[in-house]
Amino acid sequence: MRALRIALLLGICALASACQHVDPWERNLLARPDMAWEPDELAATQENHTYFSKEAAMPGGGVGGGGCGCN
Amino acid sequence: MSQKKRRARSERRAAERAAVRAARSGRGTFAMLTTSALALIPGLAERAAAQSQENGWSFAYGYSMYAEGSLPASKVSAGSRERYDIDTHAFKLAAPIGGNISLGLDVAYEKMTGASPWLIESDLAGDPVVVMTGASIEDARTDVLASVTFIGEKSRTSLTGGTSMEDDYTAINFGFGREKDFNQKATTFSWGMGFSTDEIDPNGTSFNPLPSKHHKKVGSFSLGIAQVIDRASVAQSSLTLQYADGYLADPYKLVSAGGINSEDRRPGTRTQISWLTRYRRHFERVHGSLHADYQFNWDTWDVKANTLELGWHQELFELITIAPSIRYYTQSEAKFYAPYFALGLPATQDASSDYRLSPYGALSFKLRADVSLADLLKVPQARIGLQYERYESGAEYAIGSIGTENPALVDFSVLMLTLKTGF
Repeated sequence: MRALRIALLLGICALASACQHVDPWERNLLARPDMAWEPDELAATQENHTYFSKEAAMPGGGVGGGGCGCN
Repeated sequence: MSQKKRRARSERRAAERAAVRAARSGRGTFAMLTTSALALIPGLAERAAAQSQENGWSFAYGYSMYAEGSLPASKVSAGSRERYDIDTHAFKLAAPIGGNISLGLDVAYEKMTGASPWLIESDLAGDPVVVMTGASIEDARTDVLASVTFIGEKSRTSLTGGTSMEDDYTAINFGFGREKDFNQKATTFSWGMGFSTDEIDPNGTSFNPLPSKHHKKVGSFSLGIAQVIDRASVAQSSLTLQYADGYLADPYKLVSAGGINSEDRRPGTRTQISWLTRYRRHFERVHGSLHADYQFNWDTWDVKANTLELGWHQELFELITIAPSIRYYTQSEAKFYAPYFALGLPATQDASSDYRLSPYGALSFKLRADVSLADLLKVPQARIGLQYERYESGAEYAIGSIGTENPALVDFSVLMLTLKTGF
């Protein structure tokens, strides 16, 4: 557990030191629709449900109430 | 200063003002970071978070056709070689009701037909072959999720409740999620939890004509961080813990032990951990964006899985976006899995031949096209998207060598159409 905490702290420090300061008015590129985590939420929900039904892993971090998937 | 330079400066300032307005109004990066973070929580998931972003009405409709490939005759010893087809209609509505509160509603309806793997047995040569059900299975699923999101200056809080109903299966789920922005909204922390209670009331089969009802409960907790790296890239990392307790087996599957069939049997609890990291980078010169996602999964059934997905989103003529992507998935087998078992398998021993718990890898290719209809229809945010995915799985795609491939591994194709509009 202690090793996990240290790894997490190191990870956050590495991420923070690699980041540049970006003012809000400089974020127009980040605001583009094609930069979203899921450009189409509806399609992503359908995809995750399919992977949930066919694979052993939790897709996208978890699916609750997603049905039986018994096929 | 020349007129050309004055015009360029004026356009640049206008773009900057638009970016500031977007950031202040909760669109822009703020929106993107938010969409990321809650895409983790059961029930709550990405749906509620996404609905809170646009500060306006939005409506989306999707239709998808999912078709599994038929199995080769050499892998089937009985039953239909044809497998599942699923048609899905999905709706998503987001409605702001004032006072920084947004309501969301997601509804999906699926109709499923086809045949399913029933058990795996060995043929005369000792190779595993699958016994399929008949091709007469028909089922439908309705999924409803409602959400309310409270949008603050530097935080969002969402509550969700939903249900998933099939002829033989009912699930009810609740979720809570919270996000908080720091560092001028360049950093977003999120956490959330979800709970689901499920009941399965199986239909009778020739093996078990009068099955009994079963229940399970699933709880999950998630923690995430999203960070702006520079003016063209952003990353997000999140950890999810999920615990399930109850009936976790598949009532429609059997295991074969030396020719004697018995029910699929699995442990009564399962803890799963998922670590998901995502990266997005825009390349201004070519008007394209790189998407890279990696996910590691581990659970107490000894299944380890890795997923890597890479995509490129290319904008063309400020009207069309073409997005090809490739996804690689690989998993190890569950500790109680075998394609078939030796005679004398104890009735109390966990045992499953489900192909989804077998060791394998999968490769899928996806191509998506989005066309903006905003100018054509004079409706803001109106667009149409078409997507095709081809998924193939097998032992040859796995990391390392697999002794015996499960003959029921699935290949499928999905064609999906989505329409979206908003005000």
